[in-house]
Amino acid sequence: MALKLGSLLPALRYAVIASICFKLLLFPAYTSTDFEVHRNWLAITHSLPLSKWYYEDLSEWTLDYPPFFAYFEYALSQVAAYVDPGMVVVQNLNYHSPETVYFQRTSVIVSEMVLVYALQSYLTSFPENTRQTAYAIAMSIYFSPGFLIIDSIHFQYNAMLFGLLIFSIVKIKQGKLLMGGILFAVLLCFKHIFLYLSPAYFVFLLRAYCLDISNLKLSKPWAAIRLRNCIYLGSSIIAVALLAFGPFLYMGQLPQLLQRLFPFSRGLCHAYWAPNVWALYSALDRTLFMVFKRFLNDPVYAEDKSSLTRGLVGVTSFSVLPDVQPRATFMLTLLSQILSLIPLLITPSFDNFMSALTLCGYASFLFGWHVHEKAILLVIIPFSFLSLKDRRYLTPFYLLTVSGYISLFPLIFTSAEAFIKYLYTFTWIFVFYNVFGGLAPVRFPKRVFLLDRIARVFLLGFIPLLLFAGLYERLPVLRNYEFLKLMMISSYCSVGIIGSFIGFSWLYFFA
Amino acid sequence: MTESKSAASAKIPAVKATDDKRSDVSAPQPAKKDAVNTSEVNEDSDNSPLNVFLITFKAARTQWVARQVIIMISLLYRLGVGLGPYSGKGTPPMYGDFEAQRHWMEITYHLPVREWYWYDLQYWGLDYPPVTAYHSWILGWIGSKVNSSWFDLDTSRGCEDPNLISYMRMTVVVSDLAVYIPAVSMFIRWKMKSAKLSPFHHSISTAAILLQPSLILIDHGHFQYNSVMLGLALLGFTNILKDKLVIGSIFFVLALAFKQMALYYALPVFAYLLGICIFPRINIPRFCSLAVSVLISFAAILAPISFSKGFAIRDVFTQSLQVVIRVFPFARGLWEDKVANFWCAVNTFVKLKTLLPSETLQRLSLVMTLISVLPAFTLILLHPRKKALIWGVSASAWGFFLFSFQVHEKSVLLPLMPTTLLLVGETDLNVQSCIYWINNIAMFSLFPLIRRDGLVMQFFTIFFLWNWLMKSFSKAPKYFLGQLVVISSYLAVAALLILELTVPPPAQYPDIWVVANVTLCFGCFFLFAVWNNYKLYKACITK
Repeated sequence: MALKLGSLLPALRYAVIASICFKLLLFPAYTSTDFEVHRNWLAITHSLPLSKWYYEDLSEWTLDYPPFFAYFEYALSQVAAYVDPGMVVVQNLNYHSPETVYFQRTSVIVSEMVLVYALQSYLTSFPENTRQTAYAIAMSIYFSPGFLIIDSIHFQYNAMLFGLLIFSIVKIKQGKLLMGGILFAVLLCFKHIFLYLSPAYFVFLLRAYCLDISNLKLSKPWAAIRLRNCIYLGSSIIAVALLAFGPFLYMGQLPQLLQRLFPFSRGLCHAYWAPNVWALYSALDRTLFMVFKRFLNDPVYAEDKSSLTRGLVGVTSFSVLPDVQPRATFMLTLLSQILSLIPLLITPSFDNFMSALTLCGYASFLFGWHVHEKAILLVIIPFSFLSLKDRRYLTPFYLLTVSGYISLFPLIFTSAEAFIKYLYTFTWIFVFYNVFGGLAPVRFPKRVFLLDRIARVFLLGFIPLLLFAGLYERLPVLRNYEFLKLMMISSYCSVGIIGSFIGFSWLYFFA
Repeated sequence: MTESKSAASAKIPAVKATDDKRSDVSAPQPAKKDAVNTSEVNEDSDNSPLNVFLITFKAARTQWVARQVIIMISLLYRLGVGLGPYSGKGTPPMYGDFEAQRHWMEITYHLPVREWYWYDLQYWGLDYPPVTAYHSWILGWIGSKVNSSWFDLDTSRGCEDPNLISYMRMTVVVSDLAVYIPAVSMFIRWKMKSAKLSPFHHSISTAAILLQPSLILIDHGHFQYNSVMLGLALLGFTNILKDKLVIGSIFFVLALAFKQMALYYALPVFAYLLGICIFPRINIPRFCSLAVSVLISFAAILAPISFSKGFAIRDVFTQSLQVVIRVFPFARGLWEDKVANFWCAVNTFVKLKTLLPSETLQRLSLVMTLISVLPAFTLILLHPRKKALIWGVSASAWGFFLFSFQVHEKSVLLPLMPTTLLLVGETDLNVQSCIYWINNIAMFSLFPLIRRDGLVMQFFTIFFLWNWLMKSFSKAPKYFLGQLVVISSYLAVAALLILELTVPPPAQYPDIWVVANVTLCFGCFFLFAVWNNYKLYKACITK
């Protein structure tokens, strides 16, 4: 890797070096349970035969990512065994030797190079003198506080996975649709959360690669099908899937694998409240509950039924409002996604594809079942590529990024890292607010000034909100309302994200 | 080099676009871009990574943004270093500097002022001047409001609560932000105005000074508040350079009263102030106002402690004397740990401590220090020029570091601060390379200490970061002797680092790597001090 660093564009290379220096300093930082999750996966893939990977359950953190990620862990574990043999023993639960920390943290930094090369390929897809906006976008993605908080502190490998996504997007931008599709299939076999984005891929590839509308005749509708392309795409996707799932299919373990990948027993909201529609819904429920408890003497409201803020797993029930069924959230998500796909089906341009991708991310984040706040990256990263299209996209972009990144704050709750997350995110916002504001072309001089102002005031509202949240434990009056702090942050963030969703949809559908 | 240029040209359109947006012109302007491009190449022939980053902000109107970003980023690296261990972590019963600072907050917050310099002197008794005590009192007061158990009298000793550590780390960052960073910005602004340099240079210099690795590692890794004293002293220099003499001297008194080590700077500052009262003509009112302000500020700082026991002459005297005794520990030896100064280096070959009685050594050290500082003092006194002041301060601080009494390895930060400031607006590549070189040698001289603290990874990261940003290794002096010294010393440093990290020292010489480190660094520091005095002489004599 170090050798290939020389092939990077200088500005990108410098960014990588400066960023790696900072990430090295983060090695001693707090690690979440995800650190142990990935350590356990190293141990499982190293010590057990393939047939036991998806059955092993000594640790509660069972392997629940698709096979490519397991293969990736297997490759890592080959090195890990040299660094510290204790790391790859399944029985060593919560093993946390310095070597383990150094190895795992280093593996994140090295795997991030996938993102770097993806961004490089994005930059080089522009001719040399027209890269200014692309540079800003690439830098904003590379330095994203999302990756810093989730990957470098909390511990995951998102930058690598989003690197694959960006590779696929770049291929599609270059017109290499088959390659883009294959890369996306590979990505799905790394982490299935990207399934949320698959409707956009499906419709786009169908329309732009498999069909030829200009050939469409009512008498012979099948003539519009590009049979050869269909075979290329279908066979390569099947090949990718076979590479990933084939061994498990052969061993007859597919049902067990799928059960691990899709655990439907989880609650509507995650332990923290991802800032989506359901966060607002449950906030409303809590508020109504408090009001009813206060003013109605009904014994129904004496007992607190809901346990939204507690526990990882468990079906949630609401106190006042009707409960939400998984099917309902699924239908809402799908409906919203289908709406966003219609313009793509009509004009399959690259911009429309990116918009549809973004909206698929929005839909799954806002309406999905058991959404994790980390999933906001599924919206932010595709949106970043559109953010500098023209001036009007900036307001929803600011709303989305600020709300989305701030909603990640509760992931890091230790005081030493808290200052870093605040300052890093603030610096990111400050830099890119200034840089983007200068770069976005003004295509339509008439803007809706009022909305811009409202958005700006809304964003400034985060300052008192965060101050209040910081002082929360010091205010004795509020101690009985422990859920209130998280509820406030996630409700406020969800207002921002829903606002950006509406703004973006308006631009996509009507502008 | 060519790559860097292409990066520069790739980034320039971004700046152009910024301009376009501001003037609401959306049509592309190739001619303008070319203009920016050529001026770029002419102005900054060195394309260090830092230049490439800052070109994004090159348009004049966004310089403010660039500077804020530099400050934020330098704070981020400070916070990053602060995640690591600190001196004396988990080593009872005495712990280390972290515990000393925390202990002072504890005693100043809980005890009446009259006991501050008397309480349990065996356990990290307060031995810094009063302003440090006041600073500790404020931080202890705030900290006790957050969590009183962090600073409970006696029972909180050795407290290592993670939240306490974050609080303490934060106090260093805030002190940095409140004193050192404004001081650096003010100095650079003055220098830019007086030397008529571009705001772009302003940003580059800010980054160079604020990311100086040694200070970050000692303050935010090892744990101390050196930046407060350095910042106060620098505020003093800057105000004096801006002809605000009274304010400047008050700041300098504050620095002295924060940490007595500011005495390293005192002689040239005194010489400068005296010099401008004598030349070109004798100015009695100026002299009187300076004398009075210095005396009053000293008295004001000392008064709360001197009068804390009562107003009887004897009480006032014992209290004041106790501060002096605590602050100047003549009872201790000539040096403590291994430090890269004259005495320790000579001791490698001649066992001074057994050869001569302690008092003789003290007197000898005083005489040698005065001799080493004499050139700087005389030159500044006779030629009180603004452009010579920082050179003089630097020369004097090196003299003190090399020859004075009771020097710690951390004290190298004192000569290093004015030396690094000489980078601001400096266009001579020889000077630049010497300053980078001595910074790196000083960093290396801190390595044994940093290694004891468990900050080796942070050491190499910050060390690499600064040198890489400045591209300092590619800047060597142009004359042969300089190249020889720089290159051979770098080779020796690399060899010693590798030896120290990989080869355990032989049993009969457990300190051999440290002694080699000290001897090598002394040689380099000495050469630098000689060169510094020569440059000072040039700055004073030439028109």
